[in-house]
Amino acid sequence: MSENGILIEGSRVTKRFGGITANDGVDFAVAEGDLVGLIGPNGSGKTTLINVLTGHLTPDGGKVILRGRQVSGKPAHIYAATGVARTFQSTQLFGRMTVLENLMVPGLTRPRSSAHEVARRARACLEFLNLAHLEQLYAKNLSGGQQKLLELGRCLMLDPAILFLDEPFAGVHPHLRDELIKRIEELHRAGRTFVVVDHDMESILRISRRLVVMARGRKIADGPPEAVRTDQAVLAAYAGL
Amino acid sequence: MSWDYLFIQAANGAVIGIIYALIAVGVTLIFSILKIVNFAHGDLYMLGGYCAYYVITLFGVPPLPAMFVSMAALFTIAIILERLLLTPLYSDATERKDEYGLIVTFGLAFFLRNIAIIAFGPFPLKPPSFISGVQHFGNLIVTNDRLFAGSAGIVLILALLYFMHRTIWGQALDAVSQSREAAAIVGINPRRFNSFAFGVGAALAAAAGALIAPIFSLAPDMGVLPNIQAYVIVILGGMGSVLGSIIAGIALGESEGLFTAFFPDPTRALAYTNAFGVLVLMIVLIFRPNGLFGRRHLRME
Repeated sequence: MSENGILIEGSRVTKRFGGITANDGVDFAVAEGDLVGLIGPNGSGKTTLINVLTGHLTPDGGKVILRGRQVSGKPAHIYAATGVARTFQSTQLFGRMTVLENLMVPGLTRPRSSAHEVARRARACLEFLNLAHLEQLYAKNLSGGQQKLLELGRCLMLDPAILFLDEPFAGVHPHLRDELIKRIEELHRAGRTFVVVDHDMESILRISRRLVVMARGRKIADGPPEAVRTDQAVLAAYAGL
Repeated sequence: MSWDYLFIQAANGAVIGIIYALIAVGVTLIFSILKIVNFAHGDLYMLGGYCAYYVITLFGVPPLPAMFVSMAALFTIAIILERLLLTPLYSDATERKDEYGLIVTFGLAFFLRNIAIIAFGPFPLKPPSFISGVQHFGNLIVTNDRLFAGSAGIVLILALLYFMHRTIWGQALDAVSQSREAAAIVGINPRRFNSFAFGVGAALAAAAGALIAPIFSLAPDMGVLPNIQAYVIVILGGMGSVLGSIIAGIALGESEGLFTAFFPDPTRALAYTNAFGVLVLMIVLIFRPNGLFGRRHLRME
């Protein structure tokens, strides 16, 4: 753990795709135990930033520092092994595996794991997410919302220090969304660090302790949600100015 | 045509089918992980046969341990080839990955075949039998080598299935085949499994080469037909289905054997055998465009 409790930090992160600069020198640090909401209009570079911070993209400029060690340029599975978990905008489950197997795989790939112990943890995780009754179903047969819950569960099996959730509420039934929010809050209270990207302002404002706003590849606001939501630059960005 | 001839053809077809399955299951494994069809697989099978031959003749090792040495050698060689030739497949900078895979494996096939002619010579070589002699089942006579090849092939296939379904590595392999992205975020290194799948596929082909050598002899071009057969089997079984390719392999070997038995003109029957395999493929694809065990979505990316 580095001093001042910073868990992961993107410093001057720049990422270009062809002629488009998706991230333009973004500074983004997350402290241990924080719950950060990351919002911004479409195309503002939120997902790109998450992809850089979880090792799925190598930044063209700047660096990523995880617990004081520079990790940018390393492949995604190294990030995962160091305690960074994530979900995807469109869920990426193992569709031809059962719900239980989806949780077993990340558990078993941890060093020194036993099948018995992993199965016990996976079942506890399914209980926690209210998916226990679906254990033997193939993941591809779950509803969109259940898939999002299962993807969260798969992250938890890694026992991560930080979870990046990319649009967890998109296309999820309001009832399941409340369920998801409740689980995130419980996990946060238990000490997990979260970064949540979403368009659903209401949900984001409900859960985040800190709000970061991006527009056109830059960070335009960063602070407590009450302050950020009245910020003129943010209002302008959302009004398309 | 007598019943005896029919039975012999059926028995021979079953053995050839198991050997086909052993080759095709490797092509399937490589396809499901690397998303390319390895057109050099038959040539890895050829190398496996020669490798076993030289381990037997130069070092005096008995045939069965020689087969395992050959499997280990081809596993290693395949990983080196994969690292040298196939890494551009995993780079975002490569735009036409399918075409790259096609051209590179085709090129590799020609390269290996011609190297084999230079290194091993053009004349057929025959290693000693695994178990010499024949077995009589009534009027039916089957050589011990064929029985051994069939049984050893089945044991290897069962071992592969056990590995894929009952071990952590097998599960991880399955995870990578379903979604590389998702595998990476749960801490699996997908690159390692590219090498591993290519190596395991080559080792199984090597075993097939070593098993078939005492039956049909070794020749540098012995991989040409299996290349095509394996491709037919992989499509027949539904691309990406391991079980499908095993069943399709045995079915193709068997139907080729019986076709030869039933063909009205025995002097021409053998020449048409391979055409028959493709005919079976065409008929199956008309009724089941995804193959016998195909999934609608080949790729889950």
